[in-house]
Amino acid sequence: MKFFAFHLMPWDRLPDDFAEKYDTAWTWLPNQMFDPEHGGQLYNNYLDQLVLADQLGFDGVCVNEHHQNAYGTMPSPNLMASILARQTKNCRIAVVGNALPFYDPPTRCAEEFAMIDCISGGRLIAGLVVGGGPEYYSFSKNPTFAREMYKEAFDLILRAWTEPGPFEHYGEHWKLKYVNPWPRPIQQPHPPIWIPGAGSRETIQFVAQRRFAYMGIPYFHMDFFQRNFDMFRDECEKCDYTADPEQLGWLLPIYTAETDEQAWAEYEPHLWYFVEKLLKGLVVFPPGYTSARSIAGIQKGLKQFMSTCKTREDIEAGGYAIVGSPDTVRQKLSENIKKLGVGNLLGLFQLGTLPHDLTCKNMKLFAEKVMPGLREELNAAPTMQQAAAT
Amino acid sequence: MKTENKTLSVAGKKTQLTILGQGPPLLYLHSAGGETEPIPFHEKLAEHYTVYLPAHPGFALSEGLDQIRDIHDLAWHYVDLLNELNLKNVPTVSYSLGAWTATEVKLLRPELIGPLVMIAAAGLHVDGAPMQELFIDSFDKLRELLFFDPKSQTAVDYFPSDVNDPRILMWLRAREATARVGWNPYLHDPKLAGHLHRIEGPVQIIWGRQDKLIPLAHGEYYAKHLPNAKLTVLEECGHMVPYEKTEEAAKIALDFLAS
Repeated sequence: MKFFAFHLMPWDRLPDDFAEKYDTAWTWLPNQMFDPEHGGQLYNNYLDQLVLADQLGFDGVCVNEHHQNAYGTMPSPNLMASILARQTKNCRIAVVGNALPFYDPPTRCAEEFAMIDCISGGRLIAGLVVGGGPEYYSFSKNPTFAREMYKEAFDLILRAWTEPGPFEHYGEHWKLKYVNPWPRPIQQPHPPIWIPGAGSRETIQFVAQRRFAYMGIPYFHMDFFQRNFDMFRDECEKCDYTADPEQLGWLLPIYTAETDEQAWAEYEPHLWYFVEKLLKGLVVFPPGYTSARSIAGIQKGLKQFMSTCKTREDIEAGGYAIVGSPDTVRQKLSENIKKLGVGNLLGLFQLGTLPHDLTCKNMKLFAEKVMPGLREELNAAPTMQQAAAT
Repeated sequence: MKTENKTLSVAGKKTQLTILGQGPPLLYLHSAGGETEPIPFHEKLAEHYTVYLPAHPGFALSEGLDQIRDIHDLAWHYVDLLNELNLKNVPTVSYSLGAWTATEVKLLRPELIGPLVMIAAAGLHVDGAPMQELFIDSFDKLRELLFFDPKSQTAVDYFPSDVNDPRILMWLRAREATARVGWNPYLHDPKLAGHLHRIEGPVQIIWGRQDKLIPLAHGEYYAKHLPNAKLTVLEECGHMVPYEKTEEAAKIALDFLAS
């Protein structure tokens, strides 16, 4: 069982009247709201939190890429990962991921990931993603080409890592006479690859067939994760192998405090800031981003999305976030990890406006009072899926 | 009214074609909204013409969007279609995305398109008159954007009511096919403006005064730079000219084509 600390690096100063005045925290939210002095402070706090994760014994830290929004102010996760490559010593650095259609040419991603892998001594996990729906507006990138650009870029990057250069790449979207990226990654044949997904069968099949790892897109109801992870295991069986739990990752907000009541009291305002403000406008499917049928299906699936939550009870019932005393958090996580059959837990320990001191306290309590017991328990006992498979 | 539904193969692309009315042929090129089933505006034209109403690739039952990479591929598709139908110098009524397409076809093969009616045409970037965002999810906001009177019954009925509306899949397909050619550059071809002086045939431009999607300045630009064009502006009318001003727009088009 592996434990990761995931960071979105959110903007924490949206105005009180945001809900009435703005339709979205994405793409069109005026950037005058971003105060650079405060932004600098936040970046440094957030990096300190991820360095702390390494010191506390987390297996890894995760950063990701978003553009022109308040939800995650990390347009370049590779910048953050390169700092972490120096400032952390032991943990994995998962960049989940680079949105490939926005790297021109995509060999830039192969180069930058190889740099991070070299600097960190082979600790990179390479996330290769399509990019979120809103980003196709932010970059004026044609979403009807998103999937084929992603596929072309993906194959090119893997080739660039595994095939001696220089070689020619003449694809539909990129024409490169000399592909020959320096440096090459330490991890051979290439760094581990993680691919996030929101449940489309095409993505799940692709990840299963290539034996990569599938990270469930967060903020959905527990049943939604269960269905997708079960589908992933089925697809692996169809490829004649049994999924390793480490091929699956479950990402969710976690908050631990001394008691259940204290945890909710400390956490709730920050959680609702996240749900009511930062999630607003995240789920956008520009035309052709995925098939018309999938878009229609996902729109219906949004009934199982965190933004429908209005109360603490809604959050707890759907397992959208795990909040409570160390015992409560451990017991709930244990139960769900076994049920979902995942080998990677990706915790969001900072969320919305949650301040630096509470975030650090949350992580310390988790690392000291939740993680060791969970590790022991989960490494000893096979998950239900493993038990069923053997 | 006499209506015939056909499926053509146009250079290998399955293409839906509706033919209605009687008289000499007239080509209608539809908008991003995908009016591929006859609407009252088509029926007005069909009182005098045999109206050929093809669905662009990716719209309705037409396929082959994978072979369309930009507006020029769409224009070449119509070169093929007109050859397939053996139509030359055909009077053409075109609307929004369709009007942009018609202009591009006219540049590629001037002899195929005859007198041209362009209604609220896309195709240009005009400084100081930006086109608003069409690719938004809220039908309420789209009504505000497209109709002069967003509360009118026409505006209410125009869009699917919600995600359970059976029309939603066709709507999403139409959006995708429009985005394919119109996402970036946004609903225009940067080279088109420089070509307008080469379009010599007669053109009737029709525009709604209150068009918020494609402001009237675009119509004025076309009228100024096309050598043989006339602009008629309709009052109290948004982008949805054939729906909002059915009678008036049809009359202007028919009078122009008859002259």
